[in-house]
Amino acid sequence: MESLYGLLGGFAALANPETLLYMVGGFLIGTLFGAVPGLTSVLAIALLLPLTYSLDVTTALVACASIFMAGMCSGSITATTINIPGAPSSMMTALEGYPMQRRGEGAKALGHAALGSMIGGSVGALLLMVLSPLAADVALLIRTPGKFSLIAFALIVIIISQRGSVTKGMIATLLGVMIATIGIDVVQPLARFTFGSSVLVQGIDMMPLIIGTFAISELLIQADSRSARTVDPSKLQAAKVKRRDFIPPLSEVREIGLVRYLKSAVIGYAVGILPGAGGSMAAFVSYAESMRSSKHPERYGKGNPEGIASAECANNSMCGGAFVPMLTFGIPGDPTTAIVLGVLVINGLQPGPQFMTQQLDLVAPMFASLFVSALILVPLTLYLLGPYFLKIVSIRRDVLYSSIAVVALVGSYVATYSTFQMALALVFGVLAYFLRKQKYPTVCLLLGFVLGPSLEEYCRRALSINDGSPMVFLTSPDSLFFIALTAVFFYFMVIRKPRENPLKAMSD
Amino acid sequence: MSSKRLSLGGGFYVPAVLAVITIVYLISAIKIGPPMKDGNMTASFFPIVTAVLMLVALVVAMAQDVRRARSEEHKTPDAEVDDDAELSKTYGGISVGAISVVLLTAGYLLAFDLIGYFVSTFFYVLLLMFQFGSGAAKNWLMRLIATCAITGAGYLLFEVFFQVRLPTFWS
Repeated sequence: MESLYGLLGGFAALANPETLLYMVGGFLIGTLFGAVPGLTSVLAIALLLPLTYSLDVTTALVACASIFMAGMCSGSITATTINIPGAPSSMMTALEGYPMQRRGEGAKALGHAALGSMIGGSVGALLLMVLSPLAADVALLIRTPGKFSLIAFALIVIIISQRGSVTKGMIATLLGVMIATIGIDVVQPLARFTFGSSVLVQGIDMMPLIIGTFAISELLIQADSRSARTVDPSKLQAAKVKRRDFIPPLSEVREIGLVRYLKSAVIGYAVGILPGAGGSMAAFVSYAESMRSSKHPERYGKGNPEGIASAECANNSMCGGAFVPMLTFGIPGDPTTAIVLGVLVINGLQPGPQFMTQQLDLVAPMFASLFVSALILVPLTLYLLGPYFLKIVSIRRDVLYSSIAVVALVGSYVATYSTFQMALALVFGVLAYFLRKQKYPTVCLLLGFVLGPSLEEYCRRALSINDGSPMVFLTSPDSLFFIALTAVFFYFMVIRKPRENPLKAMSD
Repeated sequence: MSSKRLSLGGGFYVPAVLAVITIVYLISAIKIGPPMKDGNMTASFFPIVTAVLMLVALVVAMAQDVRRARSEEHKTPDAEVDDDAELSKTYGGISVGAISVVLLTAGYLLAFDLIGYFVSTFFYVLLLMFQFGSGAAKNWLMRLIATCAITGAGYLLFEVFFQVRLPTFWS
């Protein structure tokens, strides 16, 4: 009952005009960044990170949650209208949305995407609120050897989920782990890898790494392009749409069915809990399941609202699931939750099994923000701004990227009032540029950096309390469980051939 | 055996550079001390294991790229020419545009503390405007106005709104 009051208190916190302003502002920024090809909601949250030094932690978390939700659903705008997904999670939406756009039903496709996002996002947020306390109770049972095996499981799954580039995923993850070892040792007061520099003794801050990896590297990649705008205006000459065109017909919603919406939401939530899976995987799995269970699978790929609904429902529901491992174990599974973890760490908070009970007043507004963003802001934004979406996504690149550069670099300065952090952001930006050019997953770099210190700490602690015997990882039941789970994931994701891509199946 | 040199690209050189960095890291880790002491792990154990795993992964990545380069030797060069025509000029794997942005940013970092936020940001944004714009000399007045607006908006956001003390020329 106390938890229920705490969660309701989260909704009450949103009534604060300042918090509400940040939620709505965050949602609009997330919509813009999610819709514009090349920009992502991760970049939006990364740019927000430095500002959290001056913000109240609750307000910052509320803004992060609304950006996350907005970024996930707004990728469908350009996916539908010009067949360029604004975010990778909208690739499956493009498959169905663009054919609908070509036959003059683009507004209706966006309506289906918004409805799916609304249902998926709301269900995901509700599941997060209901199941997080249970997950926290389970987390209390895990001891030090089990924590090591759990983090190792998370890192291994993140690496093997990089289909076709497992080696690159491993390199990026280990690079992140190596960067995290710079500074004071996690167990004893000993400086490592400082190379005689006093500024490195404190270690590498998460902020320049995030700003460099997601903002500076993006600037360097975009510097190659010579186009004046983010999207060529000649591609945007669409027929004028009215607001009522965005409302999907009830007959089609009935045909999709409540069961399909709920099933997609549950799939998205479950995929969100897995480390490294993310919105693309959620949309892919849900779309494939929807096609498998459909009465008319032959309609998929030709503009079927069922496909849009299942993909959008799942990728928005994923937002709720992604917060579970981060809040209960302190293990982020994707870059967004890793940055949210950064917001908490900046404010001196460390997530863990008791975090949900001890700091519910801080995170409850974030849960409420996820729910309200999905239930109210998704449909409201489409209804109010839908007719202008096409104009919004075509932005002058010179203005956009110059603004991002200023916010990113000056934002790096905020943490320590030193240009050293700005220089570090530039160094990591150049490093990430080379990695991205060679298709190394930079998400792995960030997650390796975040999880590396905990992996080392739990490994050393587990061994020191067991006289250095590594058998403790096999004799401890919780550790053994995660080792077995790692083996199961390894079998299904690496040894056994994964499910065929529906894209390929359709082209065949 | 073919006498032709393999056309190795960033797929080989990026892991090669990372391998050099990892070797420096490994030597530093070994210098910390023995990895085990009295049956317990020391501060050097984890970095040594990480570095060794990293080197193995890097060798695999380099071998994969050598194999790719060998298989591409047998392909006709026409398709490659078409692809490369789309790419901008690069030096050491980094494009001219990206080099410009890196140099501008490095200059901005040096100027930021010396001449303060306003002057350094104004010139940084103005130069970036030309870098990210399509025509070098076109719309210069529009760009000047946008530069002033971005510099002013940055000041409002950080100094006024979030009360971050930014360096000034006269401070």
